[in-house]
Amino acid sequence: MSEPVISIKNLSYRYRGQKERALEDISLDISQGDFLVVMGPSEAGKSTLAATINGLVPHFFRGKFEGQVDVYGKNTQDHTVAVMAEEVGMVFQDFEAQLFSTNVELEVAFGPENFAVARDEIERRIEKNLHLVGLEEYRNRPPSTLSGGQKQKLAIASVLAMQPKILVMDEPTTDLDPISKLGVFNIADQLRQRDDMTLIVVEHETEEALKARHILLLNKGKVIRYGPGHEVLRDVDLLESNGVRPLDIVKYFHQMGETDLPMAPEDGLSRFHAKGWRISDAKHAKLVANDKARAQQYGDIIIRCQGLKHSYSGKVEALRGVDLEIHRGEMIAIVGQNGSGKTTLVKHFNGLLMPTEGSIEVDGKPANEQGVFVLGKKVGYVFQNPDHQIFSETVFDEVAFSPRLRKMSDEEVKQRVEEALEAVGLSGFESKDPFSLTKSGRQRVAVASVLAAKPEVLILDEPTTGLDYAEQRSMMELVRHLNEKGSTIIFVTHHMWVVSEYAHNVVVLNDGQVILRGTTREVFSHEEMLRVAFLRPPHIVSFSNMLGKTMLTAEEAASCTEGGDV
Amino acid sequence: MESELYLDLDTLIHRFDPRTKIFVMLTMFVVILYYEKPLWVFSVSILILVYGIVSRSLVNLKRLRHVLIVLGTSSLIMWAFFSSGDTKLFWFIEVEALQYSISRTLVMLSMVTAGIIFISTTRNEEFIIGMIKLGLPYRVGFAISTALRLVPTIVGNVFTIAQAQRSRGLDLDSGNLIERVRKYIPLLIPVFISTIRNTNIFGMALEAKGFGAREDRTYYLETNYKINDRIMFAILIVIFSVATYLNSTGMDQIVGLIRF
Repeated sequence: MSEPVISIKNLSYRYRGQKERALEDISLDISQGDFLVVMGPSEAGKSTLAATINGLVPHFFRGKFEGQVDVYGKNTQDHTVAVMAEEVGMVFQDFEAQLFSTNVELEVAFGPENFAVARDEIERRIEKNLHLVGLEEYRNRPPSTLSGGQKQKLAIASVLAMQPKILVMDEPTTDLDPISKLGVFNIADQLRQRDDMTLIVVEHETEEALKARHILLLNKGKVIRYGPGHEVLRDVDLLESNGVRPLDIVKYFHQMGETDLPMAPEDGLSRFHAKGWRISDAKHAKLVANDKARAQQYGDIIIRCQGLKHSYSGKVEALRGVDLEIHRGEMIAIVGQNGSGKTTLVKHFNGLLMPTEGSIEVDGKPANEQGVFVLGKKVGYVFQNPDHQIFSETVFDEVAFSPRLRKMSDEEVKQRVEEALEAVGLSGFESKDPFSLTKSGRQRVAVASVLAAKPEVLILDEPTTGLDYAEQRSMMELVRHLNEKGSTIIFVTHHMWVVSEYAHNVVVLNDGQVILRGTTREVFSHEEMLRVAFLRPPHIVSFSNMLGKTMLTAEEAASCTEGGDV
Repeated sequence: MESELYLDLDTLIHRFDPRTKIFVMLTMFVVILYYEKPLWVFSVSILILVYGIVSRSLVNLKRLRHVLIVLGTSSLIMWAFFSSGDTKLFWFIEVEALQYSISRTLVMLSMVTAGIIFISTTRNEEFIIGMIKLGLPYRVGFAISTALRLVPTIVGNVFTIAQAQRSRGLDLDSGNLIERVRKYIPLLIPVFISTIRNTNIFGMALEAKGFGAREDRTYYLETNYKINDRIMFAILIVIFSVATYLNSTGMDQIVGLIRF
């Protein structure tokens, strides 16, 4: 092994005003050309660790710093972030806030300008890096007009233009659709093959971490495991107990009692055949029959769109004729790439937007006759970012906001709040300050405050974004529970495994139109069509599609497997 | 929602050096403030409109028409109240006061228009370069232009947050003025929090891209002071001199006007 380029010794860090340390006694050596993926649950210290490498910790954040971080021989405590930027480039999760120029070229030029690079050299670097990320054609466009995936690629290009030797990416793909995610990781993969570039990526999803040379698993600021990627990824129990979703294929073979575990769907397939296994027709037919039986139990139509069109400020057509019927009791996922019209569509369901053409009926009456105030009682809407709606000093007041606006008696308000908090598992938190809760806690408060109005339909926009695996699970279990108690659930998401495990039905939007609609099993069997919409089903679904029978979870697949020595 | 005002066009005005654009705006600001009589003010407004037509940026006025109408009406009423004169017109409004309120309103709308034309024709980066070439330190120039840039972001945030509260049953559209203002209070906290959070990330991204790493800095965007800029400057000097001379004669003043 060559000399480490990043050397972390006994690093501890505590943010000012926090009792717990965000990082605790971390020692780590990273060598040149490595591809390190940092994983772990929320509050594990992943982002904090990433921020120590270019000196944002301790220079930008306030707190108590102990230990030492050396990057290419530079001690981060003695050098400002701006100076470290020459060695370490950093890409953030929020792709809106990190872009600040008025066109793509100037965005890429900004970094080199700060290091007084000559103009023709800047031009060369713009050329090279826009080519690398595939944005040459967009060079004169304002960044605000790009899609989410393109924005994140631009952010990468603009950092690479400074020619750093280390690239740190803090959850670069969390807000992206599956194929855009893949695009960003393909760029990372290209960079990985250059041995002068060291890559550090903070990532939630194991499927993206497949190519990692090393994986660092953190929990509560401590190193749980640091080892070669393929070893860590095969440790199903360790990952699960540390808030990381294990790979589907690994999990399936683990459940089948195998010890030497394949990781990618293709490897899984050859192992499957080598073992002489097959999928039981009868058991698979039973799964399909169960889907049908569930559909029989739905009530009447609650939302009906006909030829629904919507254009913003008379120009861009975000929805181009949507026909859709949603029945009472459904749990339906709306998926599609960034900018495909998902959020625009669901905002019609509670009257936030009105169609520019076509019609929408909710509960038998046209939406425009009811308006957002009346519809709000029937259709609750949980926004993507809980911080966009929370403003009260206590959890109680926050949840009571809606009932109070609707002029209910104090008794009734109290009862509504109690019920809503119980449903989201926050009983006892009434007097807490909502802002002191974690993201997942705030998300729950937001859900409770919508539930307090007792809507029949609940819309959730990206309910699992920004949460770790365990939090995502508990959020979706909560939603499923609400559905079982009779609520109609409509959720918008990028997380395909959430769709495959929780949604009954799926609507795929592409460019403002519905291109697929059906049970989750039917929709996920059309992988080609999904790719058009920038979507990719989870590994286990792809794996089962290769076997000719769509299955949605590793458990389903395991239960249907027979033959060989099983 | 589109919140950028800059129009990426290739007009004579867009091609000006940023310093020229800054000086056009400043000259218009000064000259229009000279005069009291509506017709005199109006003549400057015409100049500004012609400049706006050449730069094809008046479309942005249309986007802001609601704000402009509200501003214009309230200014018209306010100035009529807060000044008086000798010649009774009706009720307690005098001819002089009406004249004055018309010209003040014109002044304000014209200044807003000149500002909008400037923003519609000048990239942020150009504006920074312009300020630096005029002698401001880079950090100051960057701070000013960033403050301008944050406005659309905040407006976008307010919009999202208003939707979130509206879907929880907050009725922002009914009631009298005071009630409505009070209803907007729940929006403030989320707006502040998301703005602070955004600026925090912005700050990190800025430092991570080496902002202020060195004293010297290069500029990718080229700005050239060309023949057109010279001509425009000559025109500005003429306008400024004539306007200043006319102002000194006192012909533009409203006789008998009493201001509070």
